[in-house]
Amino acid sequence: MSEKKSVGTVFFNGIIPENPTFRLVLGTCPTLAVTTSALNGLGMGAAATFVLVCSNIAISLLRKFIPDQVRIPAFIVVICTFVTMVQLLMKAFLPSLDEALGIFIPLIVVNCIILARAEAFASKNGPVLSAFDGLGMGCGFTLALTLMGSIRELIGNGSVFGFNLLGGSYEPMLLIVLASGGFLTFGLLMGLVNLIVKKFESKHADKEGQAA
Amino acid sequence: MSLRISTAPHMHNPLTTQRLMQYVFIALLPTAAWGVYAFGFSALLVLCVSMASAVCAEFLWQKIAKQPVRVGDFSALVTGLILGLNLPATAPWWMVIIGAFFAVIIVKQLFGGLGDNFLNPALAARAVLLASWPVHMTASACVNPTFFQAGVDAVSTATPLGAPANYTLMQLFLGQAPGAIGEVSKAAILIGLLFLLVTKVISWRIPVLMTASVFCCTMLIGGATPEAALAAVLSGGVLFGAVFMATDYVTSPITPWGQVIYAIGIGLIITLIRQFGSYPEGVTYGILLMNIATPLIDRIPRKIYGVKKEAKKA
Amino acid sequence: MLTKTFKRGIHPLHGMHEGKGPTRDLETREYVSDTVVISMAMNIGAPAKPCVKKGDHVDVGQVIGEAQGFMSVPVHASVSGEVVTVDQIPSLGAGNVQAVTIKNDFADSWVELHPLGSVEQVDPKAVIPAIQAAGITGMGGASFPTHVKLTFKQGATCDTIVVNGAECETHLTADYRLMLEHSTRIVDGLRAVMRALDVKTGIIGIEDNKPEAIEAMRKAAQGRDGVSVQPLKTKYPQGGEKQLIEAITGRQVPSGGLPIDAHVVVLNVGTCAAIADAVIDGKPLINRICTVTGCVRKPSNLLLRIGTITEDIIGECDGYSETPGKVVFGGMMTGICIPNDQMPIMKSTNGIVVLNEKQARSKDESPCIHCGRCVAACPIGLNPYQIKVAADKSDFAAAQKLHVMDCILCGSCAYECPSRRWLTPSFKYCKDHITAEAKAKAAAAAAKGGANK
Repeated sequence: MSEKKSVGTVFFNGIIPENPTFRLVLGTCPTLAVTTSALNGLGMGAAATFVLVCSNIAISLLRKFIPDQVRIPAFIVVICTFVTMVQLLMKAFLPSLDEALGIFIPLIVVNCIILARAEAFASKNGPVLSAFDGLGMGCGFTLALTLMGSIRELIGNGSVFGFNLLGGSYEPMLLIVLASGGFLTFGLLMGLVNLIVKKFESKHADKEGQAA
Repeated sequence: MSLRISTAPHMHNPLTTQRLMQYVFIALLPTAAWGVYAFGFSALLVLCVSMASAVCAEFLWQKIAKQPVRVGDFSALVTGLILGLNLPATAPWWMVIIGAFFAVIIVKQLFGGLGDNFLNPALAARAVLLASWPVHMTASACVNPTFFQAGVDAVSTATPLGAPANYTLMQLFLGQAPGAIGEVSKAAILIGLLFLLVTKVISWRIPVLMTASVFCCTMLIGGATPEAALAAVLSGGVLFGAVFMATDYVTSPITPWGQVIYAIGIGLIITLIRQFGSYPEGVTYGILLMNIATPLIDRIPRKIYGVKKEAKKA
Repeated sequence: MLTKTFKRGIHPLHGMHEGKGPTRDLETREYVSDTVVISMAMNIGAPAKPCVKKGDHVDVGQVIGEAQGFMSVPVHASVSGEVVTVDQIPSLGAGNVQAVTIKNDFADSWVELHPLGSVEQVDPKAVIPAIQAAGITGMGGASFPTHVKLTFKQGATCDTIVVNGAECETHLTADYRLMLEHSTRIVDGLRAVMRALDVKTGIIGIEDNKPEAIEAMRKAAQGRDGVSVQPLKTKYPQGGEKQLIEAITGRQVPSGGLPIDAHVVVLNVGTCAAIADAVIDGKPLINRICTVTGCVRKPSNLLLRIGTITEDIIGECDGYSETPGKVVFGGMMTGICIPNDQMPIMKSTNGIVVLNEKQARSKDESPCIHCGRCVAACPIGLNPYQIKVAADKSDFAAAQKLHVMDCILCGSCAYECPSRRWLTPSFKYCKDHITAEAKAKAAAAAAKGGANK
């Protein structure tokens, strides 16, 4: 980790190249469970982003004080704090979303993305970089969940964010909003994103090759 | 003089993949013919739409993916026909098209095309359609109601599984009970089976053992009388599944003993779903679940000439 | 008729007399050509070294190539006449081999022969050296020096000699004709070997599509102690060494082992007849029966001198009936393609099959559909489709784990494959690669060991 990282690259890293959902395949449990509608996906993503940014900053600030042997419990305590905050806030201001997301809000505690970023990034970098890493990862996660939620809502319900787009005669494909539809959409999207990234990378490599 | 050089063997059995697929297609024809006879024009429409879209899907995918186009091997056509035969005659056209595209593109091509799919494409598509539009899939109104002896009752009954007592064994056997296009006439299916056995496309193991397994399991687990167990075999898609879907080369085990395990397993799962599950019919899931187990079954070691049982390395 | 057989296997050209129809009932006739080209590498192991030079006169049976070590046999002149050249010719495998070209003077003058006498009186110890001196190798196709086969390693025992008269290969009728026309010779050769090795049982295995041969051999074996005939089911590869042993004795050759590990020696009927010639008459191996069939105008069974050129043989059969696409030495299942018709026949060439352009065209592979026909065919019990996956990835370790080394390259799986996958060629490639690798490793280890000393 000797090379100097810019805030911009750290931020964008989380959106496409290391998108937590499609590229790192982290946090699949909420990804599959809550993306039955675009709004649920967005809400889950926002909540996770909040926790991610806050916990990344807190852990980055505390990284010199946390003994190596007990770092995981310590991380979890920090994360728990923010998750509890999110949960209480949501219950107070967005009760319907809270009901829709249900158990998956408290489960953010054990979301792999948050623990992974704490372990892999925040515990080794300064608070500013960590904040942007958290933001980038969070945005990537939110984007992925919203995309999946939109697609599943559109096919499985004919609407996106509750707006009916396909008209009344559309007969929704129930499967897509069921659990198996979640796997199906997830797999297909992951393949598509990987295909696009690969195409992009090979083009990039060609250009670099020509420049050299 | 130029002579060709190649390694032995210098000749082949004339049977090719294409020919095998053609045989399967021919074997399906009696069943399809009976379906069209029983359900009328709409059944013909479902079958044609299904076949056409399956072939289109395969062609388009191979063009887009820049693969050699292998539509001529008949495999997509067979998939389309089997899917069509798995649908009720009342299935709306758009559902048939979605099913065919799902079968060919998502189940077959995305996993590597012919030979690499781990599920039977037509069956997986049927399962998807069943989960997505259950109303369309289970309604099997008779287009030609006078045909069925049971008369008006049959129109509203989903499948005879709900009330098998409504039909005599003979009616079930001849196909005078409602159901999907292809599964109604057991007689036509048996003609197909006979053709497949005579042309040596399939062995007797999977179809015979699977139906036997359903029969025995229904008696043992469900405590049914032999007559009721026979009715269970003749109702729903058991025979159609046993002859045309469980025997799919790609998704069934290769070794003889593997096939035995596979066939008995399917029968067991079907009976368990029928007896204890919330679905009335379990053929689709029975076969799909054993499809998934097939790669594992194929790993069961075989006896190799001159090789003693590999001693466990202490 | 009580027949025995092995597990699985295939029935190529079943219902068409296994392609043997055209030559089955044709009596063998002798053909001696103008010129012969005698290869020095006609056995597995070290090639012989030419010991004549251009211009020399040779008699029939004269040694023209000396054996190089134990794994080698001498080569004899098959005609009398003048040595035209000692030169290189392309071999059937890779690279070139030395060959002696002799112009036939049709005098047919023989060298002086040293017969050992009748089978009853022969000195058992003299038989095996006589077999080596006569230049006898396996006549069924493998060309393994016969005296090596009959010399066991320490502690090995043999209780049965199996004579291979199965002739399961399609199209070939050479062994069949030999069994009909020289049945006593075959039994004499077998008895000589039994005497040499002090073995009490000799069993001749013949497929049941040759009832006349079974009858003839039974007659010849009558009153010969310990010699019997066992009818076998007509199935390919019934004549494979391992399959024959399984069918006749019920034993299996252990993986990686030789027939002697199952206490059996397998000899081809042609080899037996050659042994009889060597022991009783002292004659070296200079000719053999060869079936010429396929796209030739007059399919025949010919008694040919070793080294006769293919073009002359085709001429004797009134030429090609169609433009030839492939000319195969041996049968259709395991035969070897020759690059041009100037190739001479060898001691192991039991047939020449000519294919037309259409039959010779190679087919494209299509994807494996897991139909299981290869598995049902494999006489060894392998899973060819799985090995092929490993072979396509050049994953030799995986192929070896799937027992590719136990493959006998019979071609059954490739014959049956509806997707026309190149199974057998892939397995040959795997086997060759693994053997070469093991050899290189052994050589490296030996070099290292030497350096340490």
